[in-house]
Amino acid sequence: MINVLLITFAMTLIYLSIANRMGSYIKILVFQGLLLFGVSFIELKEINILNLIFILFETIVFKTIAVPLLLNYIIRRNRITREVEPFLPNFISLIIVTFIIIVTFLLSNIIEDPHLNKIYFVVAFSSLFTGLYIIITRKKIITHVMGFLVIENGVFILSLAVGNEMPMLVNTGILLDLFVSVLVLGIFVNKIGDVLKDVDVEQLQNLKD
Amino acid sequence: MISFALIIITSLFFMGIIIRTKSIASGRKGPGIFQPMKDVIRLWKKDAVYSKTTSFVFQIAPSIYFASVLMAILVIPFGQYKGIISFEGDFVFFAYVLALGKFFSIISAMDTGSSFEGIGASREALYSMLAEPAFFILMGSFALFTGHTSFHDIFISLHFGSYISYALGVLATFILIMIAMIENSRMPIDDPKTHLELTMIHEVMILDNSGFDLGLILFATNLKFAMYGALIANFFIANFQMYLTIPIFFAVQIIFAVIVGILESFSARFRMNHNAQFIFTLTSVALMIFFGVLMVIGKFI
Amino acid sequence: MIAISLLIVAISILLIPFLNVKWKGIVTLLTVILIAVIGGIISVKALLGDKIEFILKGTFVTGEIPIRIDGLSGWFILLINFTMITGALYGLQYMRSYREQSSNITLHCIAYLGIQSALTIICVVQNAIVFLFAWEIMALSSFFLIIFEHYKQDCIKAGVNYLIQAHVSMVFLYLGFIWVGTRMNSYDFRAITEFSTSFPPLTSLALFLCFFTAFAIKAGFVPFHTWLPYAHPAAPSHVSGIMSGVIIKIGIYGILRMILLIKTDYVLLGFIILFISVVSGIYGVMLAIVQHNLKKLLAYHSIENIGIIGIGIGLGTIGIGTNNFLLTTLGFAGAMLHVLNHSLFKSLLFYGSGNVYQSTHTMNIEHLGGLAKRMPHTSVLFLVAALAICGLPPFNGFASEFLIYFGLFKGMNHGNLFSTLSLLSSVFGLVLIGGLALLCFTKAFGVVFLGSPQHSFSHQPSEANTAKLIPMYLVMGLIVAIGLFPIFFLHWLSEPLKLFKDKLSVATETMPPVSDIAYTMQYIGWCAMGFISLAGIIFFTRKQITKQKPESFATTWGCGYVGNTAKMQYTANSFIRTYRKLAKPFLSIHKKEVLIKSIFPEKSSYETHPQDKMEELLIDIPIKQMKYFFGKFRFLQNGNPQFYILYGFIFITLVIGLPFLYGAIISLMKFLNQL
Repeated sequence: MINVLLITFAMTLIYLSIANRMGSYIKILVFQGLLLFGVSFIELKEINILNLIFILFETIVFKTIAVPLLLNYIIRRNRITREVEPFLPNFISLIIVTFIIIVTFLLSNIIEDPHLNKIYFVVAFSSLFTGLYIIITRKKIITHVMGFLVIENGVFILSLAVGNEMPMLVNTGILLDLFVSVLVLGIFVNKIGDVLKDVDVEQLQNLKD
Repeated sequence: MISFALIIITSLFFMGIIIRTKSIASGRKGPGIFQPMKDVIRLWKKDAVYSKTTSFVFQIAPSIYFASVLMAILVIPFGQYKGIISFEGDFVFFAYVLALGKFFSIISAMDTGSSFEGIGASREALYSMLAEPAFFILMGSFALFTGHTSFHDIFISLHFGSYISYALGVLATFILIMIAMIENSRMPIDDPKTHLELTMIHEVMILDNSGFDLGLILFATNLKFAMYGALIANFFIANFQMYLTIPIFFAVQIIFAVIVGILESFSARFRMNHNAQFIFTLTSVALMIFFGVLMVIGKFI
Repeated sequence: MIAISLLIVAISILLIPFLNVKWKGIVTLLTVILIAVIGGIISVKALLGDKIEFILKGTFVTGEIPIRIDGLSGWFILLINFTMITGALYGLQYMRSYREQSSNITLHCIAYLGIQSALTIICVVQNAIVFLFAWEIMALSSFFLIIFEHYKQDCIKAGVNYLIQAHVSMVFLYLGFIWVGTRMNSYDFRAITEFSTSFPPLTSLALFLCFFTAFAIKAGFVPFHTWLPYAHPAAPSHVSGIMSGVIIKIGIYGILRMILLIKTDYVLLGFIILFISVVSGIYGVMLAIVQHNLKKLLAYHSIENIGIIGIGIGLGTIGIGTNNFLLTTLGFAGAMLHVLNHSLFKSLLFYGSGNVYQSTHTMNIEHLGGLAKRMPHTSVLFLVAALAICGLPPFNGFASEFLIYFGLFKGMNHGNLFSTLSLLSSVFGLVLIGGLALLCFTKAFGVVFLGSPQHSFSHQPSEANTAKLIPMYLVMGLIVAIGLFPIFFLHWLSEPLKLFKDKLSVATETMPPVSDIAYTMQYIGWCAMGFISLAGIIFFTRKQITKQKPESFATTWGCGYVGNTAKMQYTANSFIRTYRKLAKPFLSIHKKEVLIKSIFPEKSSYETHPQDKMEELLIDIPIKQMKYFFGKFRFLQNGNPQFYILYGFIFITLVIGLPFLYGAIISLMKFLNQL
């Protein structure tokens, strides 16, 4: 069952590469959050109640509800255009993301660690690279936040892969990281929206000395 | 033999169900389900008008297109019963014989020297080129999964064991439906009801066909739908007895037709420049299926 | 027998210069046929399992010259000579319009004979020096064949480009043969086998790659393909036909021969070949689509087909490496059958384009159109060849591509993850090649032969004469025959295939599948026949039904507009526009456009010039930089003769002085060390 969820997760990455509206990006993030909840729930069912609540809190409350709402709010407040405006055509993005998945698949074949479940590795790394790719090729700052969230999801999966005994500390770290980044970038975007009236990355180039 | 007969029977009412679904969804009563077939028969009786620009290609193309679809249908098995043609690697033949029909329909559109039909021809060539890898990777995954390379052997030895193989089955059905929509130029890719020639794909290619030829082309479209429906049905009727398989077959076909009708009633066509990436997504999804198969047979992990 | 045929060639070469123009061609044709018959007898014997092997005395320079004719040689001799005959038959008619250039034709005929004998010799001889000698003759004679229209600037440029690249390929051949020759002290090909068994696999892999580079330049694998798209359009059509049909195939012969001779790590080798082939195939067809010159388009298609052949070879090599009987058979059978098939349909396409060229005097497909009515025979022939090259069922292209597909699908079940994935990507590549080829040939056929003419010619284009059509119909007959009876041709391949099977260590236990393949191929033949008869029945029914009804003719539907639509029809460029936009990052297209800016119509234009991105990256840019670097030294060439003598003086002084200087430095060092 986990495999199915993870393959679906990989497919959301492919869909992410061709989506051309902010709305669909947020929907994908919500869906990814649900998938992550499913994976972690199945993986960790024998862990104590506290951990379970924590996971629930992290995946459902944060990834699926709070962050998307916040993103939605930022988009509406700053009147960001709904198109994503990539630098490269979506067709190329699609090919590149597929290529990323294939390469990580081949890469994972080299690893010979019996403890590591390879499918986690593949999905985690491909979402990591896809997130980086999205940050590189999209124009808006808000998409950087989304790319970062995808990377963060990848890290989450990787931490699941390490084994059932997911350390609380890692979890807290992830959560804090996520929270702070969204908060900072949210404020950042809001302020920039006030000052520059435009939220393209290109404007940031003017800040160099 | 059975599959051939069943597909022909299905093709008689398949399009009718789609149209009926659409009319019910839009609050109309709609025509009877055999109306599209009656239209075809009416066309077969009509005279034809040919364009002055056309050459021999325009005369032979519809017949060859129709023959290619019939030939492809002969390959499709039905449960335990082989298709009339069945050999190892027959799905390659299936895809290529359909491509032959497409070749002729494209050049017959080019033959009219029209300013519109070229648009459709160009799009048809490009989209089918993009859709074909998805089909081959899908069949390749199942060939790997079962260890066989013919439709009949693949379907008969396809048994679902675990969650993941069910998921693969669902994904495969999704891909096949989408391929069927692309090959028949239906909704998410092409809108058959559009009124502007510039936004059509398949309809614009047959603007100049009339009479018997047009009837052949329309009937071939119905057949193609029933053919893909049969292919999907084969996923579900593996090893049951005859009295079970035939109802399942028709049920799958009807559900397929209703899904197509609902999809066409409630969704809008993609922008033309988004089509290419959507079609290519199918290949990526097929690749996911392939990875899934690799996991099931234990080559990975 | 060989002496006789060489004698015949020599006599006719001597004879040709003194003959009347009319007789030159006929004598050439007769000689070609005679050699082909002799070669054919030998090769049929070889294909039936009767290997011929004898050793000529040779001279002091060459050493003994072993001549071995096995199945592989036989197969290639047979297909080379068939295309040579049809080429000569077609060329005889094609050359009629150049009759006044008598001396030029003499050279052409001699070069034609030269290339045929050289190709045949390459296939049979197994001595490195004689092999290189024949290879050089082939390179030179094809150079002369290409520059037939030497008064055209492009033609000479293309010829020189070819000549240089042919010699780059020679350099690699020399390197390989000398390497083996110095180590083994023998120029017999057997020495190569001994070499590879006595050195570790990695060394013999390096040797193989050395030979592979040489043969790949000849065959036109990407990135060694850059001579092909220039040479083919420049040459006369029958020469393009034989070049694309057989001359590039000699590269394939070389690769296959080397696989037989060199013993190395076959699995790794197979993956290397597979990778290069998939890249060649996709890149070739991607560029073919955007070409506007019909012959250039066909030339890029040759690269694509070489890629398909290469996929077969790679598959077979992996089969040898993994000791898999089925893969070896399917891979090499597919590759060798495709060599034959490609030589047929590609030569037919070039002959067809020759007909078009001679009746319209242009190769720019944007100027053509509507030829199907003026040239019905040519268009039918071109259509059949186009269908065959796309690999569509009732014709021969399908048979060979099916074998390769079948092998790839079968191969997926064996081997590790990496091999499964690379076979899958080969399937993906092959499917993509097929789809793109369909796009390409619907464009080529549709724009050239269908629709209405886009350009008014001073005289109406007309059908080529019957004598030109006869060799074309001959080729078409064979295309259809292979499509209908693939099993018959597969039987002829059993002897060459045996050579590859002998390389497997355990072959007997997995024998049965071959009868499966034979059965499948037979089935495909039946299906092809069934399809043709089905289409025939439907067409006949249609004819019967529509017979009584009146046919009316009208203008093409233009959404209500009934004026002249010839200018408005879809052009080749617009047909591929969507594709071009998708593939933009992989192509390099130079665009010139003048767009309408105001609201009133004014003169506007749009031109595209497709370039080869790989060529720009690998050849043009390095040459530019080299030019820049060496441009720094231009001051040396100042045109003053005294300075040149001064350079000579400096050079001589340096040559004499350097040893002294060296000695002085050494003694200085010694002195310093002693301190």
